[in-house]
Amino acid sequence: MLRDITLGQYYQTDSVLHRLDPRVKLAGTLLYIISLFFFRNFIGYLIAAAFLAVVIKLSRVPFKFMVKGMKAILFLLLITVVFNLFLTPGEPLLSVWKLTVTKEGLGTAVTMAVRLVMLVIGSSVMTLTTTPNNLTDGMEKGMRPLKVFKVPVHEVAMMMSIALRFIPILLEETDKIMKAQIARGADFESGNLIRRAKALVPLLVPLFISAFRRANDLAMAMEARCYRGGEGRTKMKPLIYQKRDRVAYLCILFYLVGSICVGRLLL
Amino acid sequence: MGIIKTQEVVFEYIRRDEEGNVEGITTAVDHVNLDIKQGQFIAILGHNGSGKSTLAKHINAILTPTEGTVWVGGMDTSKEEKVWDIRQTAGMVFQNPDNQIIGQVVEEDVGFGPENIGIPTKEIWERVEESLKAVGMYAFRKYSPNKLSGGQKQRVSIAGVFAMHPKCIVLDEPTAMLDPNGRREVIRAVRGLNQVEGVTVILITHYMEEIIHADRAFVMDKGRIAMEGTPREIFSQVEKLQELRLDVPQVTLLAHELQKRGIALPNGILTTQELADQLVPLGKRGN
Repeated sequence: MLRDITLGQYYQTDSVLHRLDPRVKLAGTLLYIISLFFFRNFIGYLIAAAFLAVVIKLSRVPFKFMVKGMKAILFLLLITVVFNLFLTPGEPLLSVWKLTVTKEGLGTAVTMAVRLVMLVIGSSVMTLTTTPNNLTDGMEKGMRPLKVFKVPVHEVAMMMSIALRFIPILLEETDKIMKAQIARGADFESGNLIRRAKALVPLLVPLFISAFRRANDLAMAMEARCYRGGEGRTKMKPLIYQKRDRVAYLCILFYLVGSICVGRLLL
Repeated sequence: MGIIKTQEVVFEYIRRDEEGNVEGITTAVDHVNLDIKQGQFIAILGHNGSGKSTLAKHINAILTPTEGTVWVGGMDTSKEEKVWDIRQTAGMVFQNPDNQIIGQVVEEDVGFGPENIGIPTKEIWERVEESLKAVGMYAFRKYSPNKLSGGQKQRVSIAGVFAMHPKCIVLDEPTAMLDPNGRREVIRAVRGLNQVEGVTVILITHYMEEIIHADRAFVMDKGRIAMEGTPREIFSQVEKLQELRLDVPQVTLLAHELQKRGIALPNGILTTQELADQLVPLGKRGN
């Protein structure tokens, strides 16, 4: 179950999307997510879904990798749906005991669920087609203007890249510790919420200790390879916009204007 | 003066209790003198806690000596302004391959070092290609490090250090976490760098088999250099090695036992082939 999270996992293949400048993909993902919150009718979501389908097809990443990422937010999705379903005031549709499902509630619940699913799949496409190093390069360069306000852009980008690189390693380790503790009679599955939370202590303590040790090792290895922050660093893969990046920007712009116009204005 | 020289180096770890009072002092490195020439293959042996890793960290200026001096390429490691030049001269490979790979793709990781020292983009690519070829990992340049075996990851780490064109590479137990196959791959790559590229290699290990090809070997115990010489000279003192809690290779041990039983064999036999070559004529004569 722990290995199912695909957010932050790069899928190695060769596609147009893989070759795009990360800044395009970052901006595209951001605009796509924003667009999802603008729609007022379902046609907008249809267009967004169609756009996403085309992008997934172009990415050449098997769809099941994106669905896998969904499992991680299943709980969040459930909470969102349930809360919206029962707690939105309005015209009652169905009443069970003290809980009432309203027409408006049903509407919001469905919209929220669709938004969340598309949001997660949309951002998975970005992380699956962009190496974390590339991604952070994109962020570093895209957010460079913020340096004027003393925002440590390079440092933040580097931290994110390292965090992303260690996600699979730490997940594997969690799995290992979990199995080791189960073999010693630990019980992670039964009991009420408090007991289960308590059962996590023997999992989290060794995990944290190991993470700190890894951080220490990595810092030493980076220093040994002359890492001293962003000053005076050159790039192995400098970001330069190509023709395909300009085309992609145009496509995104076209999608954004089109979908929002249709999704907001047409009824 | 060689590429690396240490003079009366002492390093002390100060142990403190919870209030920060000094509880005791552990001397990890105790008056060590080394002089290593450019292009040599040096092995430093020792069991756990003998001070060999602490000594290695001095060569990369990760640690600076409590007493004495370390020179790397003529630069004193205690001079703070020289620290980056020193690290560029003497690269370092660590034990755990997972904890020293920064890139998510093999080639990006190898490029990390050259990026840090400000090499122009075009040259970074040349260096990455050259380094990956030198360790036999060029075919894997587009792979994610998570998909490689331990030996392959460690070769990527070596390539990452070699891409910075150091004069010397220090490997701190690079094979401790690997299986026998991975160990062999790594040692082969290291020997290649030493013989083909002329890089000075300092290999820190507790596997005796790995030092056979070294030009010179040092055995450390309790922070001091307990033995020094060619691998053959070291291996000919089986009893002393056992006293220092080191595992002598099986062939050497067998030859030593045979010698004790009165069979005329030379000291310090290192490989099975050597032992066979010595034994066959003896057998013929016996018949």
